Amino acid sequence: MKHPAACIQCGDCVEVCPVEKVGGHAIVTFLADPDAADYSVWLCTICWRCHQVCPTGVDIYGLMMERRRHEAAPGGYQTAFERVLRSGLALPISQEELDQVRAAWGLEPVELPPADLVHILLHKSPSE
Amino acid sequence: MALYPGCLILQRMPKYEQAARAVLGELGIAPQIVQEAACCGAPVVESFTADWVHLSIYNLALVERMGCDTVVTLCGSCTNALIRASHALQDADLRTEANRRLQRVSPDLMATDTVTVKHLVRLLAEREGELRARMVRQLPLRVALTNPCQVFRPGDVVGIEGEDPMHPQAMRRLVELTGAQAVEYGESGDAENECCGATLYLAAPKLSLAAGRRKLEATHRCSADLLLQGCGNSQLLLRNFQSAFLRDAPDLHQPALFLPQLLGLAMGLPKEALGLRENLL
Repeated sequence: MKHPAACIQCGDCVEVCPVEKVGGHAIVTFLADPDAADYSVWLCTICWRCHQVCPTGVDIYGLMMERRRHEAAPGGYQTAFERVLRSGLALPISQEELDQVRAAWGLEPVELPPADLVHILLHKSPSE
Repeated sequence: MALYPGCLILQRMPKYEQAARAVLGELGIAPQIVQEAACCGAPVVESFTADWVHLSIYNLALVERMGCDTVVTLCGSCTNALIRASHALQDADLRTEANRRLQRVSPDLMATDTVTVKHLVRLLAEREGELRARMVRQLPLRVALTNPCQVFRPGDVVGIEGEDPMHPQAMRRLVELTGAQAVEYGESGDAENECCGATLYLAAPKLSLAAGRRKLEATHRCSADLLLQGCGNSQLLLRNFQSAFLRDAPDLHQPALFLPQLLGLAMGLPKEALGLRENLL
């Protein structure tokens, strides 16, 4: 990954990163040290703290997302992505199950999204 | 007003929607749920394709088709995604492409950047005065809250006017309306602004659970009575996964509520209307 020109390696992003606090190394490790090898762009809680504190306005989140699209995804992400491709939702549920949940909690019924929605919106089919 | 609960709350945490509706009902707000809503797209789909934005644009188009100018959200991630998608529509090329795709879904859907996306914390904070007037009892509780990260950051896009994106006060003020004390916890005293780590679970379950454990250790040290969340992901980790990260420390277990459950209790609403099974008082 190309180190962003605007980054001054001040390390403010590392200071606020919750992943670093529990011993993981996120993209901020790379920003503070372009030679670092033991980090992953997938290790992120999406809390936006690094992005918020960056004194030079590096689009850390955008950089991370762009990089993710070129790397193999961890199983959890892959599974969740495939679920969205199949059903339009990140968690699986049938209309019948959803009807039961809503009724049990006294909530109005909800229709699931149309079956071909994700194919149209993302130009992808579940097998891709 | 429309309501977009997001996948997690729709399917696994109906009590959060129920409690939110109960509290909003007291304020005369009865939001209509968005029918046929899809996943907001972030961060999962966004991690694979820049086209994720069309999912959020679709959801906003559904809100506009309902004739609503505002959609209330319950989850931080959805809030963030919907607002970023709305902002992205300032790009004319994206708007054209979005409309092309929406037309194929349904001819009456149009890409829109005029729907206001309000997380429940923001909506309630705007009604602070009305809420205060509705409180019928003071709750003698010490509450360790966790702010929904993505509701406040990035401040220049999704932020809430008057709130410091790194140290938002809206949720704290709402807690204090109930008479409960929003305790300061963690080494910094600022752990309410430290991320719960839930989203990390998709990539690194062990690290995610370690983040949860870190929170619970901190709340235990400050003698909190309960944890409080304003986001489904946050409660998923900090409540539902407690048994996974506290296996060797059962004394650290703590009850966890959603913000409207706490507010509803102080408003004198019945537990059943708030999706509450815990006995806290």
